[in-house]
Amino acid sequence: MKKVGLGIVGLGYVGNLHLRHSLRINNANLIAVADLSKSALNKARNMGVKKTYSNYEQLLRDPDIDAIIVALPTHLHLQCAKQAAEAKKHVFLEKPMARNVDEAKEIIKTTQRNSVKLMVGYPLRFNTAFINLKRQIESGMLGHIEVANGTYISSGPFMHRSEGYAPVPVPDWWFRKELTGGGVLIDLGSHLINILRWYFGEITDIKSQLGHHYNLDLEDSAICLAKFDSGTTAVIELGWFSQAYELKIELSGTAGNATAHHVPSSMLSVVTQMLTTGTSRFYWPHLEELRYFITCLTQDVSPSPSGDDGIKDLEAISLAYKNQIRLD
Amino acid sequence: MARSNPACAKTEVKHAMSYVSFVKINGNSSTAMKHAIQESLELIGYSIKDQIQRAVIKPNLCYYWDYSTGQTTDPKFIAAMIEVIRERVSPETDISIVESDASAMKCKHAYKMLGYEKISQEYGVRLVNLSEEKSEDLDVVAAGQPFRIKVPNIIRDADLRISVPKIKYTMEEIKITCALKNIFGCNPYPKKFKYHPWLNEAIVALNKAMKFDLCVVDGNVVSGIQPRRLGLAMASTDPVAIDVAAAKIAGVNPRKIPYIEIARKEGLGQDSFVEKGLPLKYFAIRYPRKDVGKKFIGRAYKIAVITGLTKKLGLT
Repeated sequence: MKKVGLGIVGLGYVGNLHLRHSLRINNANLIAVADLSKSALNKARNMGVKKTYSNYEQLLRDPDIDAIIVALPTHLHLQCAKQAAEAKKHVFLEKPMARNVDEAKEIIKTTQRNSVKLMVGYPLRFNTAFINLKRQIESGMLGHIEVANGTYISSGPFMHRSEGYAPVPVPDWWFRKELTGGGVLIDLGSHLINILRWYFGEITDIKSQLGHHYNLDLEDSAICLAKFDSGTTAVIELGWFSQAYELKIELSGTAGNATAHHVPSSMLSVVTQMLTTGTSRFYWPHLEELRYFITCLTQDVSPSPSGDDGIKDLEAISLAYKNQIRLD
Repeated sequence: MARSNPACAKTEVKHAMSYVSFVKINGNSSTAMKHAIQESLELIGYSIKDQIQRAVIKPNLCYYWDYSTGQTTDPKFIAAMIEVIRERVSPETDISIVESDASAMKCKHAYKMLGYEKISQEYGVRLVNLSEEKSEDLDVVAAGQPFRIKVPNIIRDADLRISVPKIKYTMEEIKITCALKNIFGCNPYPKKFKYHPWLNEAIVALNKAMKFDLCVVDGNVVSGIQPRRLGLAMASTDPVAIDVAAAKIAGVNPRKIPYIEIARKEGLGQDSFVEKGLPLKYFAIRYPRKDVGKKFIGRAYKIAVITGLTKKLGLT
């Protein structure tokens, strides 16, 4: 079976993760990477990537590449995804799909017109703990889920960043709303909104309360109240303000409760996992989602989360920004 | 061309014995901090000269985490310091808060995110990014290692230089950060990691190039193995003495911190001092110290870095 030729555009934090994982997937062949950073390209070459480009348009012209992973800043998603689709490359697009619904619609239109597949990267959908929660909901063992509580609080873009030995500052685009499309609500909120939609169907109403602990133009905390067409109400707590990491969903049903956590491993466990499996357990869902995307391409199946999922998540986020509650 | 700057490079021993004061801050308000700062200065017999025209205050803004984490100087503490200076000298005293871009931090974001822009507006003080200021090269040698240091003119020309650091655990090579390490942040060169192979010597070189008159430690919230409200204000004119005190509070043997020893040998201060105010032990027993497990992990990680294991595993 012919391997899927892969190209990665953007070698920041998530792009690097995809780079490491791409090299571990049997039916994928990482052909090339593109980034503006020379040191990132050097690192990729040292890891065995033969073709590296400082301009992704050159990468898109490579006939050996079947699919592109777009791991660029959000404001560049539209242009890169469109160009990739025009070049007849399948597209794996990091979340959030775009800065707003209009951009997301344009991406879908271009991928459909060029008959290429589009998947949006939501690793929680490939996380065993959260998949088990879905199974418990569907089995009926929890009864009707009346209330769900989703929490994703971390340092967000302010986690300590380093490029090899040298620390690097948080890229400036993270501080500019016109480039990100919003703060923590679109960044981390998209994860929880997507998975809660997967559990409970479409959002019929959503309101938000936004906080600015760090005096940024972008919100660094958000609490959303969302109603789903299944009748479930969810409280979604989001934050970029904490050095601690918390990612969990708690469900309270008429017949039982259940919780899923995604917990960082201790340093010792990470080292053990890296030595034995080559990747840390924390990032297994990222590896699984990429494996799934490659399988969809080899079997000619439409991937999920799809572009439509990405749009519905952005519609909910847009409504949450519009329906703000002010607490004095 | 680099030159020797006698105004900045001069080292002097002011006292036969150094004084370090330890004062409890009663609360989390700027007023409580102001009273503690005033008391800490009185205890060491320090009086701000009334003819001061240009003062600079150097907080520790190493990253974007606010004072509640214990990692950066509380803007309320800086506000209290500004009030102390202006009440003593004049309400019009020209005061600048100085910090520089670092490997992982940009001043413009830190000033905004950590509440310093509000202080600037409220008190009419300038927020200065030393990485964007004019500076002069100065050749300095520390422990035999030569350095060419950029001395920002605003620091050179100030007639009162106050350092307001934190007490924190930091990388294994230097163990803790307080007064001497805070001046490392006056280096306008943003990619400071380039100094890491000679970090101990570089810290001392920076302190030789930019001599500060006074150090007042914001120990209201400290960062040990976790943050804790310690309620400490500590003052001294001797950066070596205050770092020795900080090390003792944090449970680190000051003799095992090379930059303190180098600074002492280079004449920046003394490692013995007279305690004033509350006993050092009062704060030492309350500091959130590293336990044996954390010390082991720190050393194991250092070995992993040295052997290249972290790089191999993609952990750096």
